Amino acid sequence: MKKFRTSKGLIGVVLVALILIVGLFAPVFIPPEAATAMNMTARLSPPTWDHPFGTDQLGRDLFYRVMLGTQTSLKIAGAAVLMSIVIGLPLGMISGYAGGRTDNVLMRLVDTLLAFPALLLALTISAILGPNLQNTIIAIGIAFTPYLARIVRGEALRVAQMPYVEAARSSGTTDVMILTRHILPNIMPAVIVQGTISLAFAILAEAGLSFLGLGTQPPAASWGLMIQASRDYLDIAPWTALVPGLAVALTVLGLNMFGDVLRDVLDPRSK
Amino acid sequence: MSLTYVLNRLLSVILTLFLITLVTFGVTNILPGDVAMMIMGTQSNPEAMAGLRASLGLDDPLIVQYGRWVGGMLTGDWGNSLIFRQPIAVLLGEKIAASAIIVVMSMTIALSLAVPLGVWAAVHRDKWQDTTSSSAALLGVSLPDFFWGIVMILVFARWLGWFPSSGFVDPAEDFMGALRHAFLPSLALGLGLMAHLTRMTRSTMTGILEQEFIRVARAKGLAERVVVWRYGLANAIGPVITIAGLQVGYLFGSIIVMESLFNYTGMGWLTYQALLNRDMPLIQATVFVIAAVVMLTNLLVDLLYLAIDPRIRLD
Repeated sequence: MKKFRTSKGLIGVVLVALILIVGLFAPVFIPPEAATAMNMTARLSPPTWDHPFGTDQLGRDLFYRVMLGTQTSLKIAGAAVLMSIVIGLPLGMISGYAGGRTDNVLMRLVDTLLAFPALLLALTISAILGPNLQNTIIAIGIAFTPYLARIVRGEALRVAQMPYVEAARSSGTTDVMILTRHILPNIMPAVIVQGTISLAFAILAEAGLSFLGLGTQPPAASWGLMIQASRDYLDIAPWTALVPGLAVALTVLGLNMFGDVLRDVLDPRSK
Repeated sequence: MSLTYVLNRLLSVILTLFLITLVTFGVTNILPGDVAMMIMGTQSNPEAMAGLRASLGLDDPLIVQYGRWVGGMLTGDWGNSLIFRQPIAVLLGEKIAASAIIVVMSMTIALSLAVPLGVWAAVHRDKWQDTTSSSAALLGVSLPDFFWGIVMILVFARWLGWFPSSGFVDPAEDFMGALRHAFLPSLALGLGLMAHLTRMTRSTMTGILEQEFIRVARAKGLAERVVVWRYGLANAIGPVITIAGLQVGYLFGSIIVMESLFNYTGMGWLTYQALLNRDMPLIQATVFVIAAVVMLTNLLVDLLYLAIDPRIRLD
């Protein structure tokens, strides 16, 4: 735990805790109308006491919108990463443990998927399924799966060669037992680290998809959508871009720092 | 490089290209609607729709449609775009050339900043120089690149007025104009890329500077400049180039966002238009081409690595 006491670890922990609190509790304290209520007399207002982050082109309060957008981002990114783990973990484990032809075929497929830029794959899947919240999750989840499968496979391959796995095998333990009892617990640290870093990338991907209109759809509050909407008012109201931009930046920065420290703690070999 | 190695690599490239066509075709055929519906809309008369479906061959089994698509690409017939009403092959040729300017420019910007910065951080490990450069890099990877794009537009186009904020100019007509239009999107992409590459250069250089031969070089009294740049960097440049090559995939994802933001009509913009309008033939073509370019770039980087690092021997 000493590693968290560095300034980087501390900032990471504080940022992640802050984001989680906002994501969880903002919808409890802020009624949904607060983020969608338009006020035509206060359009594009700069930050004031009434609107600490200013307002957008429809006079909607940016503080409320950015707060409620936190949950949208976290929900989509979290579900997408979970999905990539649910698919990628067994795929990678089987590939790394079975070896031979199974490994060859699976990894050839994973390598092929890796040739598709993750954002391109996510955009394509979302465009084809039709952009909405659920399909955004599916699109990002699928796009991130090959990365996770690759890492899990490498870890499984390493653990499978350990003497204790050898011992378990020679004492007649079944493959399923070895995979769940010996391999899985030993690759979890790497999965948790990769999951945290993927979460940061998933937040960026969701923002990118929504920015292009192929992710979260209006009137939902989403950081990517807010940046998209700000484009036409950059000259007169730069805060409409800066507020959601900084929200994305702080979240991703926090997750990256947290992930870096988590790696040092859980996975010291990778240093 | 032995002949067997080259032949093996070539076979593997062909196999991967084949798999890329399978994935592309698979992904674009998972939805219920089809091209006929996109051309005519959902409200159209069912008989006319059936006629169009038959004439486009959409009633054939998927495997036949797939064969026709791949066969067409092999013979140079990539079909027509539904929204642009032009042969896809012609469109692709134009747009790839436009994007090539951005890819090369952003890579140049990223590498020429990231390598010195990464080396500087590694040499002054754990000192303020390292902290500064590492923090800047961490901040860089944490900001979405379209956010950089917006900042660029705001600062360099709107406030300072130094560069145009949108559009594409054909370099054959106006070379300087082409570079000026490509500059801001390239800079925005380059900054995000630079952040990744700085982190990689730093960690590679740190590892190398701890090695025995560096100590020997110092012990025999070589100038620090020579030790770092001539001995250290010469050994780090291979891995850095490999990582830069891998980032081309990331670049081709970001280019979709950036070209759309800057209205720069290249490959990324074309892909976005295809996706937005569900122009299925164009989606298939652009997705396939991007994946193929990424794969071939990685191959090229591997070969380049072999060429610049004589320690790697192939058997």
